[in-house]
Amino acid sequence: MPMSAAVQAVSQGIFPVGNDLGWIFQLIWLVFFVVFMFYGQRIQMTVMLREIAGSLYKLRLMRDKGRSMAISRIKELANPNEDPTPRVDRFLEHIYIQPVDLDPVGIIQRLEHIIDVRDLRFRDDVRSMAPQADETQIDNLTMVLEAALDLNQIYKIIRHFYLQGKKTLSIYTVMQLQMILPIVMKQSEALANALRAFTLGQPFGDGAGCLVAGRLMHGSEKREIAKDTVVGDVMVEGRRAYVLKAKGPGGRVGRPGEAIKRILEENEGKVSMIILIDAAVKLEGEKVGEVAEGIGVAIGPAGVVDKYKVEEIATKYKVPLNAIIIKEDLGDAYSIMKKEIVDGAEVAVERIKQLIREKTKEGDTVVIAGIGNTMGVGQ
Amino acid sequence: MKLSGPPSDIPAARRIPSIFMILVFVMLILSAAALYQVIEAYRSTRTLDLANSVLSLSAITISVYMFFQLKAKPLKLGFEMQDVLTTVECPQCGHKNIREFTRGDFIFKELEPCEKCNESKIISSIYLKPEEKQKKRKKTPF
Repeated sequence: MPMSAAVQAVSQGIFPVGNDLGWIFQLIWLVFFVVFMFYGQRIQMTVMLREIAGSLYKLRLMRDKGRSMAISRIKELANPNEDPTPRVDRFLEHIYIQPVDLDPVGIIQRLEHIIDVRDLRFRDDVRSMAPQADETQIDNLTMVLEAALDLNQIYKIIRHFYLQGKKTLSIYTVMQLQMILPIVMKQSEALANALRAFTLGQPFGDGAGCLVAGRLMHGSEKREIAKDTVVGDVMVEGRRAYVLKAKGPGGRVGRPGEAIKRILEENEGKVSMIILIDAAVKLEGEKVGEVAEGIGVAIGPAGVVDKYKVEEIATKYKVPLNAIIIKEDLGDAYSIMKKEIVDGAEVAVERIKQLIREKTKEGDTVVIAGIGNTMGVGQ
Repeated sequence: MKLSGPPSDIPAARRIPSIFMILVFVMLILSAAALYQVIEAYRSTRTLDLANSVLSLSAITISVYMFFQLKAKPLKLGFEMQDVLTTVECPQCGHKNIREFTRGDFIFKELEPCEKCNESKIISSIYLKPEEKQKKRKKTPF
């Protein structure tokens, strides 16, 4: 009976004879196969949407917590009988429109004007919320509110794309959102971390450059050379050094571009070297607090106006531009300063001295600029 | 505009583990049933179905692993209070003292005179308390 044996073998394979449980398993597998064949992409999208919803839920909690922290900090500094909630909510919806770049002529001046107006408006709003607060508290409170505003914006943008992807059932929208989500979450967590530091006025990773400048200028006479920017005239390795940084300890970044421009103009371009020190995002695998040297203007993308001004004035007077960076993670830049970064700042001070010894002569003039937010770092 | 009101269109993330938990539970029952079948077959025929037993055992292992992975973890938002240290130093004699950060501290802040040399002490650094050395993880060769 070879034929019936073959039929039995086949039937045993698909629907096993006399084995009910095995039959049910086979059927389940077949149903799974058919469902995945027709609805595989839909299932994948549902899984991705659920993952995004989880992150969105976390972002919403962050946003709400950030908002409540900002409100409670204002209540501490302002009249406790007055509820600042409506004003804070209005602040958190603030929008910023970038200048037209279709015609790039004069874009830097236009961008600078918009940034100046924005800063002024923010400080005025904060001052009206907490009129009794001193300048340092106003600066720190502005930083708190800006971080809360950023968390609100991130939440709303991610929610927009999540709902759009859900509405249009577009796997490509959802997939792109899912791909960028780890970086967005990392940034948001860093901001949440920073918010706590801002309320207490603690120095954070971005202030590494200011810490280096502070080490060099501490104890010297200082003057305000540009808005929120101080300069100290010190001797470093027998050279005259103009060391500048944002005016601390409030959360300010100052105007290093304008300050360097004024120093070069005061000295009619007779400067042997400009050294800029800033915190920079490290690559994966590199250590936090590592120090690297290079050429160019070490100012991050947020300081594009200052970067432009330094490049322009250095080119005009043909002054060599040197950069020293202290490497840190994106999260470290907005978190309370780590010990490795403090140690990195000490290394950077030694590198500056070495650079000055090697590349300039005694009696020369150099400009040293510490870039970044100076919260928690005086001078 | 009130911001704290939860939008109804976003499912709560905390529900996700319970849905997966049911799936994992079903998977565990099915794989246990499959293993039972293999044992029953072995009892009656005295031949071990190696492929099925390996598959069912793997399914049990995976479901148990997933069960532990899905156990609700506390949600960390990043707002947690962190230990911050302030280093107070005398620039003259170098006498150093490390203490907890207090509100109002900032780097280069001048403090009371030094007990040893009477020079004003300063805050030389403020930093996050370094974490205890964690368990050594397997390093990549890079």
